[in-house]
Amino acid sequence: MTNSVKRDWKSVLLSHEMLLLYVLVAEWLFFFFAGTTTNRRGVIVGFGTLDRQFDILRHSCEIGLLALALTPVIITAGIDLSVGSLLGLCAILFGKLWHDGGLSLPLAAFLTLGIGTLAGGLNATLITALRLPPLIVTLGTYSLFRGLAEAITHGAITYTDFPASFLFLGQERWLGLPAQAWLFLLVAVAVWLLMHRTTFGRGFRTIGFSPEGARYAGLPVGRRLALVYMLAGFIAAVAAIIYTARLGQAKADAGTGYELFAITAVVLGGTSIFGGSGSVHGTLLGVAAIAVLKNGLACLPVVMRLNAAEEMSGLLTGALLLLALTGSVLPKMLSTFRAHRHAAQPPSPSPSS
Amino acid sequence: MSPAPLLQLRQLVKNYGGVRALRGVDFDLHAGEVHALLGENGAGKSTLIKIVTGAHQPDGGTITLAGETVTALTPATARTLGIACIYQQPALFPDLTVAENLALRLEPAAAGRRVDWPARRTRARELLARLGAAIDPEAEVRSLSMPEQQLVEIACALGSGARIVIMDEPTASLTQKEQHLLFAVVRELRQSSVGVIYISHRLEEIFALADRVTVLRDGQSVGTHPVSAINEAGLIRLMVGREVSQIYPASESVAREVVLSLRGVGCAASGVHAVSFDVRAGEVFGLGGLVGAGRTELARVLFGLTPADAGEITLNGQRVTLPSPQAAVAHGIAYVPEDRRRHGVVLELPIAHNMTMAIHRHLFPHTWLRFGAERGLAREFIRDLAVKCSSPDAPGASLSGGNQQKVSLARWLATKPKLLILDEPTQGVDVGAKSEIHKIVRRLAKDGLAVILISSDLPEVIGLSDRIGVMGGGTLRAILPGQSDPHVVMSAALGTAEKGAA
Ligand SMILES: Nc1ncnc2c1ncn2[C@@H]1O[C@H](COP(=O)(O)OP(=O)(O)OP(=O)(O)O)[C@@H](O)[C@H]1O
Ligand SMILES: [Mg+2]
Repeated sequence: MTNSVKRDWKSVLLSHEMLLLYVLVAEWLFFFFAGTTTNRRGVIVGFGTLDRQFDILRHSCEIGLLALALTPVIITAGIDLSVGSLLGLCAILFGKLWHDGGLSLPLAAFLTLGIGTLAGGLNATLITALRLPPLIVTLGTYSLFRGLAEAITHGAITYTDFPASFLFLGQERWLGLPAQAWLFLLVAVAVWLLMHRTTFGRGFRTIGFSPEGARYAGLPVGRRLALVYMLAGFIAAVAAIIYTARLGQAKADAGTGYELFAITAVVLGGTSIFGGSGSVHGTLLGVAAIAVLKNGLACLPVVMRLNAAEEMSGLLTGALLLLALTGSVLPKMLSTFRAHRHAAQPPSPSPSS
Repeated sequence: MSPAPLLQLRQLVKNYGGVRALRGVDFDLHAGEVHALLGENGAGKSTLIKIVTGAHQPDGGTITLAGETVTALTPATARTLGIACIYQQPALFPDLTVAENLALRLEPAAAGRRVDWPARRTRARELLARLGAAIDPEAEVRSLSMPEQQLVEIACALGSGARIVIMDEPTASLTQKEQHLLFAVVRELRQSSVGVIYISHRLEEIFALADRVTVLRDGQSVGTHPVSAINEAGLIRLMVGREVSQIYPASESVAREVVLSLRGVGCAASGVHAVSFDVRAGEVFGLGGLVGAGRTELARVLFGLTPADAGEITLNGQRVTLPSPQAAVAHGIAYVPEDRRRHGVVLELPIAHNMTMAIHRHLFPHTWLRFGAERGLAREFIRDLAVKCSSPDAPGASLSGGNQQKVSLARWLATKPKLLILDEPTQGVDVGAKSEIHKIVRRLAKDGLAVILISSDLPEVIGLSDRIGVMGGGTLRAILPGQSDPHVVMSAALGTAEKGAA
């Protein structure tokens, strides 16, 4: 917990977030030296260029947004597998509202955000009102949202020809940074404040640690959970708009598989899948660590020669995640193991009394 | 007494980070003796027990068992050496049945062996019968109340045929009838030359049961005495270092307007039916009865945890429905639950967060957390209730049992409620803090609060209440005046008396 808990410098330097920061810096330095080369005309290319760095940032925004959406969800000990599919559905609806519906882009964007929030509300209703497990509910809506997106487009239509003023958001720079990075930053700050500085975040955490304890404390558990899933839907819709602006097209397979990258980033960032503990800045570091790894690998000469960037990045991301998980779960496992050994002892041979 | 004691501890030291839980404790236990361990909340009693059972490793000192020094005691070796423990918090598997839990502890673990179900059940039934407990061996542990789980724990210890039996506040949630059964069991153990370490905050139990008593203070032993050579006041002085009034504070409050009025209230799901009574501002309404009488169930109905499905609830003259805890809190109802570890505190969260959990709206009116205000409030309660902790930021899990109880109480006192429901508020709390809590309850009542007090400690209910409602079988059997004769209350609880009226 980062908020009110005062910690001494030693435990701060060894916190999960700091360890991840060291990994990130090491990663970055490695790729900077191993992934930067000069081409035949003497121009510096590869990882070490500013353009490439901005490219990494640009490509991280959508998955980064989904990871931000998932952080509160996972902190309440929930999960949302549907955010990637919802990104696709929202992208399609956004395109359709503008292209077929003849709405102005701002209005279409506004409605899309509303639809994303409602879709999150559907998850929330199924989870809180019917008391179904989040994993099952969002596995269902994962298929449902993607299926809807495909049904709307008959799996064929792609909306393109967006005006340049809109594409600016996804493809240009503003105040020195890729334009969408500002939006990402805004959402990140908002979610950080929500999680770490408001009673809402406190409530999410409490629910994650002990839903019964939260109920006995008079916290509105159902309402808080609803908020978390609706927020996830809203942020997924934001990601959909940015995605459309970056590629200049809205299609039904937008964001396929993104939810898994996002979950990986969140967990890598130190959020416990058992709920309760975790932080937004940890998530941001997790997103960065994965993005740098993925892009850096593509810049390594040896990987380029083998044409194996995808495979290598998948492999290494997986390894990193398992490492982080083992590191965070091990102490807990050890203590429960001890407690169980304790509770379920083989019998003592009865002493001859 | 035999020359080599069953258990001998010398200069035992245990630190938790910066907290010095034990600093050089000596302790002896002989065969056939009941040795009481006494001390304030956080004095180190449970820590000592955890070391003897091998759950925690000491940082210094020696453990000698029947003349042999043991190093690296693990829970497994402790068990083979014949040490059994009934913890403050039952450690049973909630999804298994009573018989299965007993079997897990008592049957040899052999893969591929056929399970002799009838034998399992028979033994479970026998062990429970020895305790006089009416518990179905086939019931899932999850469905049992705290005291029932405690009884199952005791049955486990009985069945294992241990030579050293440790009981860490076994009666904290038992009623008198069960206590007497337990005492009989303890005496029986002593007869068969088992050594019993007995921890309790109830001094009368120690005089009734123990042969010797060792008092711990701040992780050090301040003396071992034969019980026959010391009196209550002396013990308290050793424990707290000052005099503590053992007399219940007199009721100075005058009952005023009716705050809560129940008419035929029931909840089929939790077995509460046809409960009618009034509680007035300024009065303490005690709820007595046996375990399973429906007192906690009634409290849960009033707090909206299991909403009522019959009858009328009137609060401050208004008909209300209490469909959820939020609704109850909004109406000024506070409920300090019985099971502090599951419901009273969130163990992973800091003490300060736990204390402000129910007053987010008042303390943080604009939803922004104010850490300074929060910590300040926590510090106040830590001081007022004498919570022993390293800082308001320490997690709830690092507190001793009694101190967790105080945190749970603080959370609800902070809400400044109109109706305060206390479910076993002094369970596991030391004498000093207990009399402090009694004073607080009386003061709150005097200030115009309506208090419902549920307690298995009969003298407490009788001494503290202005009126006593006696429950049984999920309904109110009688309402008796405060200071009633304990026998009258007991027979009302057992259903042998005529319906009384206040
Ligand atoms: N896991 C832990 N981490 C940090 N401190 C701990 C831990 N367990 C116990 N302590 C501290 O050690 C001290 C002794 O605790 P212990 O549980 O032994 O008290 P106790 O005598 O059993 O009290 P009670 O009567 O309230 O049960 C307390 O100050 C407590 O806060
Ligand atoms: Mg204790």
